[in-house]
Amino acid sequence: MKMKSLIALALSSAFIATPAAADLVIPDLSYRTGPYAAGGTPFSDGYQDYFKLLNKRDGGIGGEQVRIVECETGFNTEKGVECYESTKGEGALVYQPLSTGMTYQLIPKATADGIPLFTMGYGRTSAENGAIFRNVFNFPVNYWDGASIAVKYLKDQHGGSLEGKKITLLYHNSGYGKEPIPTLEALAAKHGFKFKAIAVDHPGQVLKLTCYQQVVHLTVIKH
Amino acid sequence: MLYRESGDFKTSYKADNQTFPIAFDRYRYWVVLAVAYLVIPFVITDYWANAILVPFLIYSIAAIGLNILAGYCGQVSLGTGGFMAVGAYACYKLMTAFPDVNILIHIVLSGGVTALVGAAFGLPSLRIKGFYLAVATLAAQFFLVWLFNKVPWFFNYSASGQISAPEREFLGIAVTGPNTSAWASYLVCLVFVTICAIIARNLTRGSLGRQWMSIRDMDIAAEIIGVNPLRAKLSAFAISSFFIGISGALFFAVYLGAIEVGEAFGINKSLLVLFMVIIGGLGSIFGSFAGAAFLVCLPVILKLIGVDLLGWPTDLVAHLQLVLIGFLIMFFLIKEPHGLAQLWNVIKEKLRLWPFPH
Repeated sequence: MKMKSLIALALSSAFIATPAAADLVIPDLSYRTGPYAAGGTPFSDGYQDYFKLLNKRDGGIGGEQVRIVECETGFNTEKGVECYESTKGEGALVYQPLSTGMTYQLIPKATADGIPLFTMGYGRTSAENGAIFRNVFNFPVNYWDGASIAVKYLKDQHGGSLEGKKITLLYHNSGYGKEPIPTLEALAAKHGFKFKAIAVDHPGQVLKLTCYQQVVHLTVIKH
Repeated sequence: MLYRESGDFKTSYKADNQTFPIAFDRYRYWVVLAVAYLVIPFVITDYWANAILVPFLIYSIAAIGLNILAGYCGQVSLGTGGFMAVGAYACYKLMTAFPDVNILIHIVLSGGVTALVGAAFGLPSLRIKGFYLAVATLAAQFFLVWLFNKVPWFFNYSASGQISAPEREFLGIAVTGPNTSAWASYLVCLVFVTICAIIARNLTRGSLGRQWMSIRDMDIAAEIIGVNPLRAKLSAFAISSFFIGISGALFFAVYLGAIEVGEAFGINKSLLVLFMVIIGGLGSIFGSFAGAAFLVCLPVILKLIGVDLLGWPTDLVAHLQLVLIGFLIMFFLIKEPHGLAQLWNVIKEKLRLWPFPH
């Protein structure tokens, strides 16, 4: 009897103790190397600093310390897979793949593993449909409404009309880089501005040259 | 003592001509196969499969393919990434167009499609050689990647230009798609690697392989003794592309599951496979495996040591990786210009005399 209650006590304390001892694990798939490092390094620093702030100021989230597990992807999908596999075992709560290529790859995997993906401003546009993509969250914008918001902003800047203006999209020459083009073409027909799309190939050395060519209004929509 | 020819009597021509004439090699071969087929599938984890073993097996096939072309036939190719892309997109188109046909058949068929494309791009090899041919195959690399990025038919008009592998089963077990278990994807790749390696090994030992090697060593002399350069070169391109196509199809369908062509099959991929072949050893099937293992495992090992063991910043480790791998490549090529396979041969020679080296 006594033994039984002891075991019960030990078991229940173990169950209560387990969540208290565990940290909230958030993987940071960063890209501090490679051609896109200039964008990846500050993002990763900010991401980590914010959770550091929460840990120090608020004692974590809901009393639990957040533990960041950083993994370098170099914006490379294969390294991204390795990072995903090596960090998911630690109890990852959410992934930010930071690359559309990696997102496409992780959507099925993360859905099968039941881990949410947070792809802000990139990733799979059709993932807006939460009934099908229940693990993917791509707020605040996707490629399509991002393009539409940019055009709306420019319209407000120019007194409510874009008639006769020119908008050029310098896009990453890949499938996902091309995603905003149909939206912008439709908007060009609607608002009467001239739309031009110019491809910038990976890793982007020609970008500067292309920019000089386009002295008119310039919208760069990042992937 | 153990590793020697003597005492191992051959009583038939077949036994005399077998792949592994030394008994110890034969036992080692069967032990490796037994471990690969009977032990690893039961202990494999997601991490081991997706980070190390599956990419290693897939790159081995690609390296075998390139080794046939560059190592055995002497035609340097920088188009491997493009040919892998052909395999991947052929597999995708076949998978989506004929969903009821078995995925393994599709993978073999994508190898066939790539063989045709490879033979077409091999045509310039009849006129140009060496660096000029390398540049011509470089054109294939850029053209193919451009084509798959530009023409929407290849990615079924999807808005983002990505191709994603749908779930396909073999004997009721998911082989592609998100619900594939680690052992299933590992075993599929392993079966393909085994078959490809056996075919490649026997091709290179046979008359076709001898024709390739004669073309490699001196094409004019080969022509004089009756080797048809058209047949030899184009068959090398076709067979090499067949293997590379299979590896591309596996890379897309089994390993990554979704692909953006410029990112996955860019020029970097061509160079990576070429490095595998050079480091592993030109003209050696074992070398293809050794080179693939070296370049797939080394970054992972360095990362494990640097980040997980020593706790260094991830970017520092990533940069050190580049430095260290570059240094190791130079070191190996200076110390052993014929690659890891030659190192293995030297060890075998020593083993034959061991323990009485005089």
